[in-house]
Amino acid sequence: MWAEVTRHLYEFESAVLSGLDEEGYPFSVRCRPYPDTSGTEVLKIWLPPGTPVRPGPASLLCHSHDENLWNLRSFLARGILVKDAGEWSFEPGRFIPGVGIGGLPAVIRFFISSRRRASRYLKERNLARPSIPWEEINAAKRAFSYQQPAKKQELTADRYSPLD
Amino acid sequence: MPRSSRVVAGLPPEVEDVFEEFRTCELSTLARDGTPITWPTLPFWRSGEKRFMITTSIALAQKAFNVRRNPRVSLLFSDPTASGLDTPPAVLVQGDAEAPDEIETSVAGFAEELRKVYRWQPASSAYGNNPLTRRFMDWYFMRLSIHVTPRRILWWPGGDFWREPFELDMDYVG
Repeated sequence: MWAEVTRHLYEFESAVLSGLDEEGYPFSVRCRPYPDTSGTEVLKIWLPPGTPVRPGPASLLCHSHDENLWNLRSFLARGILVKDAGEWSFEPGRFIPGVGIGGLPAVIRFFISSRRRASRYLKERNLARPSIPWEEINAAKRAFSYQQPAKKQELTADRYSPLD
Repeated sequence: MPRSSRVVAGLPPEVEDVFEEFRTCELSTLARDGTPITWPTLPFWRSGEKRFMITTSIALAQKAFNVRRNPRVSLLFSDPTASGLDTPPAVLVQGDAEAPDEIETSVAGFAEELRKVYRWQPASSAYGNNPLTRRFMDWYFMRLSIHVTPRRILWWPGGDFWREPFELDMDYVG
């Protein structure tokens, strides 16, 4: 898990740290975590003074996209935010790959598991699988699709990754 | 509260530009154990309603499940890629969310959102274009809506979190 976090962390310019404030709301801030040089599996984080997050459960998100909101990449690390002698650190506990991480096998797993999760959502509510109004959707595409003046985007398997 | 936030009456144009033009924001919801879980997502600011709308597939419904259990969320706008904005502020919205258990398949009533999606993410118009993707991606078009009503809005000029943030006087949000 630690190896995955550090390997992918370097692929992003910065990360979003999310902790909890005093009222129990999530509070997020951009930061640049870096591995602790002492060899412990901890990321050091510089936070501006007064940042209203409290030590405890936290997560670290790295994500990116291009100018056409494509080539999406992301991962999340769940863990614990620690404050010791005025210094902040994040102890990752779980690595959760997002889109664009893991290559083609991950894409295939994503599509299969998504279909299963949708089926489970419907089954738990005793709902039939709804039919999708494709004609209506295609009409909206024709009405709203923006014509790219520059190069055509390729739709390859590893890029076929909806944001959510 | 962050340091000595400067309270401002009224949403400045540069903050509303961020709401309108940023392609993504980082949505945080709370997991069962209280861990804030953050996803990149497409936000839609509905200025007339003074709230955000986010949609997600029923196949990726964890954020909706989290909201139904605990409505406390935040939206951080901190990645200006493709927004066309020059040194925009970073904006944090903390708020209360609702995620009704209602599955939408029709796109009627989402014209403005679709216009943005197809302009911002042209390749997404390929979803459902052929029998194969219609068969294996029908779940993508079974959507849940999440509505976020702001209770606090902070912003950092130039996206610099080391500067003192401004805060909106929420009486002006409604």
